[in-house]
Amino acid sequence: MGSMISISIPPGSLGAKAAAWSLLLLWLMLLPGQGLAESKQVKGLPPPAVLNPAADLWRDIRQRDMATTGTTQVRGVDSGVLINANGDKWRKFRMDQLIPIGGYLLLGMGLFLILFYLIRGKVRIAGGASDRKLPRYTSYERLIHWFIASIFIFLALTGLIILFGRPLLIPIFGKELFSVIASASKEGHNLMGPLFLVALILVFIKFVRRNIYQKGDMSWLLRGGGIIGKKHVPSNFFNMGEKSMFWMLIIVGSVIVASGLVLIFPIFGQGREWMELAHVGHAIGAILMITVIMGHIYIGTIGMEGAIEGMSTGYCDLNWAKEHHDYWASQMEKRGEAISNEAVNRFSDPDTNRSLGRELREAGE
Amino acid sequence: MARMKFYCDPERCIECNACVTACKNENEVPWGVNRRRVVTINDGDDGERSLSVACMHCSDAPCATVCPVDCFYTTQDGVVLHDKDICIGCGYCFYACPFGAPQFPEDGAFATRGKMDKCTFCAGGPEADNSSDEHRKYGSNRLAEGKLPLCAEMCSTKALLAGDSDTISEIYRKRIINRSASVMARGVSYRDASFRAPYNAAGKSSAKE
Repeated sequence: MGSMISISIPPGSLGAKAAAWSLLLLWLMLLPGQGLAESKQVKGLPPPAVLNPAADLWRDIRQRDMATTGTTQVRGVDSGVLINANGDKWRKFRMDQLIPIGGYLLLGMGLFLILFYLIRGKVRIAGGASDRKLPRYTSYERLIHWFIASIFIFLALTGLIILFGRPLLIPIFGKELFSVIASASKEGHNLMGPLFLVALILVFIKFVRRNIYQKGDMSWLLRGGGIIGKKHVPSNFFNMGEKSMFWMLIIVGSVIVASGLVLIFPIFGQGREWMELAHVGHAIGAILMITVIMGHIYIGTIGMEGAIEGMSTGYCDLNWAKEHHDYWASQMEKRGEAISNEAVNRFSDPDTNRSLGRELREAGE
Repeated sequence: MARMKFYCDPERCIECNACVTACKNENEVPWGVNRRRVVTINDGDDGERSLSVACMHCSDAPCATVCPVDCFYTTQDGVVLHDKDICIGCGYCFYACPFGAPQFPEDGAFATRGKMDKCTFCAGGPEADNSSDEHRKYGSNRLAEGKLPLCAEMCSTKALLAGDSDTISEIYRKRIINRSASVMARGVSYRDASFRAPYNAAGKSSAKE
């Protein structure tokens, strides 16, 4: 103590002496109090485990040591809980992690794709477009693809508006107009959300068989799917990347749907904790999914020549198929499924065209 | 400038639920919504205490932080209010709130959330003071009339205090001092100490030795 004082005040001065004396006095004043506590204990009372009984009460209410649920006349889920212990954790997750990290992740993916496009450019069909095509997707397959795609884009946009609207859109539109946008987004998101489950089930049933991993997938992965270098890697109907995206869509999509259903219907007795947890799963899953789908959209559109044809017209170019899905393409060609461009143009429906191809083959053409 | 706060004294609250009823009546809150509730812990056991809880008008309110449409604002009196015209009923404030204050009336099919409703400290909303719009959306605005929230004003044991935080804490501090320092000196948990008449005098601080 004395040394502490001597730092601030020169030793031997009047101020230092007075300070030292007052400290000594303070210490003496504390002594009887200690003695009192000790004498109380002697009387056979419990030792002073808790100095302030109220502290114990507030600790119980705060639920630091144990979950304290009270009783109340107000009916409702969690109405007997005084302190929602996980609310603050959820707030920190949303404000300090989800919004900044999620935002930078999506922005980073966008920048990465732009950079990738500038470096790699559009992947052309090396042999050029051929004069024959292969039927790739039936109209039903295309229908459910665009069904889930349009729902996904809608849900992603409305979800992102709710997540990033406050920092990004309120400065532009103002609170009143943004409230209208956000309200419409929330209602639309809730309305379309359950449809995503339907689409997910349809997509799973239709595409699961072709997405089971096969021989050759490992070598596709080891060779980086042909992203690096100029060589194309042969694959089946779906390549390893597409299969992985499919399984991610199914697994992460299921998490998103399940957590979404917990959030959307607050009538099954789920409390705040469940909803907070569901929100965390929903948000992480959705950000992950959007990032991957951004890559999917990139490859499907500007990233690769001939990739979108299969999903838009139902047919893909024979050369494109040979370069990207060689196992499947050579099989199809051997079976004589390849048809001329004119035949494709004559019939828009791929189902009739597939039978047409068979007829042409049978006719020996 | 005042900073309005609630304080509920668990040693005084007798779980009469008059604050809940008064609030519901004064503010004509939507069906299924209770802005205030009384919670009893250790009901029927030693250390039974009741607390009346509603929006605590946090200085740094988590609800306002997480709101995706930024509909919360703090008045000059330190009361946390929200704008129902901007609220979209997402429920995030309810997840973040430590006290379970935000409530949602059921609105439409599958009990989807309507506009959030919570305690306004009887201070209405952003509309003109005591206008019919304000009353319809937020209930009464007693603060504008120079009155305090009805729940606290009519609390029969004065367990629930409402008003400027300086005043409230001064009242509570005096109570603590007057309320026998004996409990403090003995250093027993609230579960073994009571200021009310005990069933069994032994071990209770209010019992005369």
